[in-house]
Amino acid sequence: MADPQVLLLIIVFLPLAAATLALLVGRFLGAYTGVLMAGSAAVCCGLVLWLLRLSPADAPVVYDYAWMPELGVHFRLRADPFGLFFAMLISGIGTLVGIYSLGYIDPKLAANRLGRYYAALIAFMAAMLGVALSDDLILLFIFWEITSITSYMLIGFWYELEVARKGALTALLVTAMGGLAMMVGFVAIGVVAETFTISQLSEPETLARLTGSPLFVPAMLLVLLGAFTKSAQVPWHFWLPGAMVAPTPVSTYLHAATMVKAGVFLVGRMLPIFAISSLWSPILVIVGLWTFSLSAYQALYETDLKAILARTTLSTLGLIMMIYGLDAPNQDALQMFSHAGYKGALFLVAGIVEHATHTRDLRDLGGLRKAMPITFVLCVLAALSMSGLPPFFGFLAKEALYDALLHNAFLAQAPAAQWGVIALVILSNAFIFAVSFKLIIGIFLGKPSDKAHHAHEASPVLWMPVAVLAVGVLVLGLLGFTNITEHLVNALSSRGHGTEHLHVSLVPHAVGPLVLSLITIALGIVIYRARRSIETAQLRIKAFIPSAQGLWDGFIHGVTWAAENYSRRWQNGSLRWYFIGILGFYVLITLWVMNKVGLHLGQISTSLLAMPWYGAALCGLMILAMFTVVTATTRLGATIALSATGFLVSLMFVVYRSPDILLTQILIETVSTIFVLLILYHMPQFKRDQMTPGNKLLAMGISAGVGVVIFTLLMLTMSPLFRAKDTLGAGYLARTLSEGFGQNAVNVIIVDVRAIDTTGEITVLVVVGLLVYSVLRARRKTT
Amino acid sequence: MSTRNARRNAAREKSGRNPRKEPQSPVLHTVARIAVPLTLAVSVVIFFQGHNLPGGGFIAGVLAAAAGAMYLLAFGAAKAAKFRWWKLSVLGLLVSLITGTVPLLQGKAFMDHTIALEWDTTLPLLGHELPTAAFFDLGVYLIVLGTLMTIFVELALED
Repeated sequence: MADPQVLLLIIVFLPLAAATLALLVGRFLGAYTGVLMAGSAAVCCGLVLWLLRLSPADAPVVYDYAWMPELGVHFRLRADPFGLFFAMLISGIGTLVGIYSLGYIDPKLAANRLGRYYAALIAFMAAMLGVALSDDLILLFIFWEITSITSYMLIGFWYELEVARKGALTALLVTAMGGLAMMVGFVAIGVVAETFTISQLSEPETLARLTGSPLFVPAMLLVLLGAFTKSAQVPWHFWLPGAMVAPTPVSTYLHAATMVKAGVFLVGRMLPIFAISSLWSPILVIVGLWTFSLSAYQALYETDLKAILARTTLSTLGLIMMIYGLDAPNQDALQMFSHAGYKGALFLVAGIVEHATHTRDLRDLGGLRKAMPITFVLCVLAALSMSGLPPFFGFLAKEALYDALLHNAFLAQAPAAQWGVIALVILSNAFIFAVSFKLIIGIFLGKPSDKAHHAHEASPVLWMPVAVLAVGVLVLGLLGFTNITEHLVNALSSRGHGTEHLHVSLVPHAVGPLVLSLITIALGIVIYRARRSIETAQLRIKAFIPSAQGLWDGFIHGVTWAAENYSRRWQNGSLRWYFIGILGFYVLITLWVMNKVGLHLGQISTSLLAMPWYGAALCGLMILAMFTVVTATTRLGATIALSATGFLVSLMFVVYRSPDILLTQILIETVSTIFVLLILYHMPQFKRDQMTPGNKLLAMGISAGVGVVIFTLLMLTMSPLFRAKDTLGAGYLARTLSEGFGQNAVNVIIVDVRAIDTTGEITVLVVVGLLVYSVLRARRKTT
Repeated sequence: MSTRNARRNAAREKSGRNPRKEPQSPVLHTVARIAVPLTLAVSVVIFFQGHNLPGGGFIAGVLAAAAGAMYLLAFGAAKAAKFRWWKLSVLGLLVSLITGTVPLLQGKAFMDHTIALEWDTTLPLLGHELPTAAFFDLGVYLIVLGTLMTIFVELALED
């Protein structure tokens, strides 16, 4: 059979190929492009499961290609259990979302738009699989950024809507900012550790180098910034609710099941490296717990279905961050698995409900039980798992969490803090419990609302994927009676250093967690009962506190304001101002450099008196022409005098027998005269007399400065001081014939020796031509 | 596009609304009829001799653009605008980049030039060899001509 290494490559490149195909043939396939998504995801899922069997946990399958050996960057994929677990979530839920999209996305939309949608969705999946399997920091970063970009396109699917554009941009700015910080952190790690290979970073030797470096803590903070922004942790939690304008399959896939988990996943990957730092646990526990409780609290007062689900998602992400901070990574797979299952199902249910009733607002919903019995049952299963009731998978996750909190070494250092954390976790879980019931009862029970009257059951394409997830969370929960679930989540976790086997069982094995669960349920019922008064109070409090979104908007507004003012000050459209800026800078920087290296006028040894009489005569004519330029009263006169100077200069090359420069000078002079004459007509009136004395003085000063500086430099190059040294010219002349096979040194330099420079220059030239064409055409069209 | 613009200009001229009537100088016409082809021929010579003598793609391109400018001034911007000159620039860039990429595909460095063809007899203009650098230079020639003509034509069309 195929080499297992090749399987790793296929998992990443098959979806990339499918994405390209979707882009190419999407306009012909229309809504059926979704088959490409579901198909490639299903194949990847199969391959991942196969690899999971094939790849031993202690010596995983690795694909390694020295991509940029000079920089030590490898294209290295590694099939370790945690990575494969994440890849399994990505491809498995990707399959379901692909199927669901077939029924959800309106097939009447423009076909090329559907093609773009699926192409972005599949490319996103490919990048996520890359993130999961990368064993190289730089490679991971590249895939990470592709997920940000594709996510931007997917959130902005309804780009006609301003909220969609804004939500997409906010998400991109926040995650890209974090991504860049993370890259700096990665580079710091790579430079200190002398390797970018993730699995080698935790080796004792490398680890010693890392911890001994002053860059260790800054690198950790930067990497955490990347993870926190991606997983929308406080204070960057605002972008996730804003991203809910995306079509529901996208919200399910990106913003519940996979992309937001990338931050958590990264923390899991980095745990063996950074957990040694004394800052690691406090930061993760504080940020995680804060996100966890704040989001659970905020979920209660939201009325939009997807906003509620977004808040509860944030809550779980915070929870997993906290688990990593508590050094209990043995349950990361359990928590991620459980969340992906029920939250994926709930998001898809929200999409079905919106499809049937054209609203997502809980206040407009109710009584859908009769019209949509299948969706109702599936939603109940998923929501009960979220609430943490037995025998669902969510219950197992909650029990494991309480168990870890009660027996945690880090928290045990301060018993008061330990009970504080436990109390906060119980309270937040109680809020989540109340929210779960609010969803079930608000959507499906009670009297049918106006909008619910015309609702009917969704097609199997829509509810089948939900069924897979909802039944899955029940089955995995029930398997808690055996040891299968326990075995599974232990085998798949990231298992950083010093972690123990995790006990997961539906059969009560300890009193502590069970008691805490009972308290949570009781408190949850109280909160649900009192939800109306709590919500009123919450909304009142909310009005007083500035929102994170508001602060972010203020920040963005401030940045654009500053940029606008800066541009207006410096790019004010006045040619004279630009010349003052450019030439003034040139004079100052040249004088500074000359002063620094000790060059001055006194070193000029060439005597002007050695000039032949005809040369001196030409110079005299040139000075006369320049004087005419300065005193001319019309632009035309100044232009003609200026080109006269230019042609006199070319005569100078006759005197000094330099034919190629002569040719160039004459032609350039001709062409620029034509050019000036063409634009002369459009120039504003000549207003030399209206210059203020201050302006005149400035202009004179800069002109004199430029004259002196250029004169000095030119004369210095003629002096023995420079002539004696090795010049660039000699080297070029020596290489002209042997390497360039030509005798015209100037041209060989242009097309051969420095051909890459020339490529850059001609590219600029082409762009300038296109710009002139498009700008002037567009202007003519509007006037 | 091009014909539409030309037609618009023609219509303007007929209706007498064109504030800047195209120049109609018989002297310029007569001179241009001879000088434009002559200048173009010289530019081709200069292009080919650039390998060993003063000349080359850049300067030959400027010379050709000067011929183009003469044509524009003698026969009017509308006539010169019939061709989309920026297409020439883009074509030139493609020629240059492809010349540079071929050695890359052969496993050599980007822009690593060699002699493409050699022969025994001395041909006019070419001599007895054709270096790959000449193709790169051809790209430069096309770009300089295309961009300068784009600028000339677009500025001349402004009214």
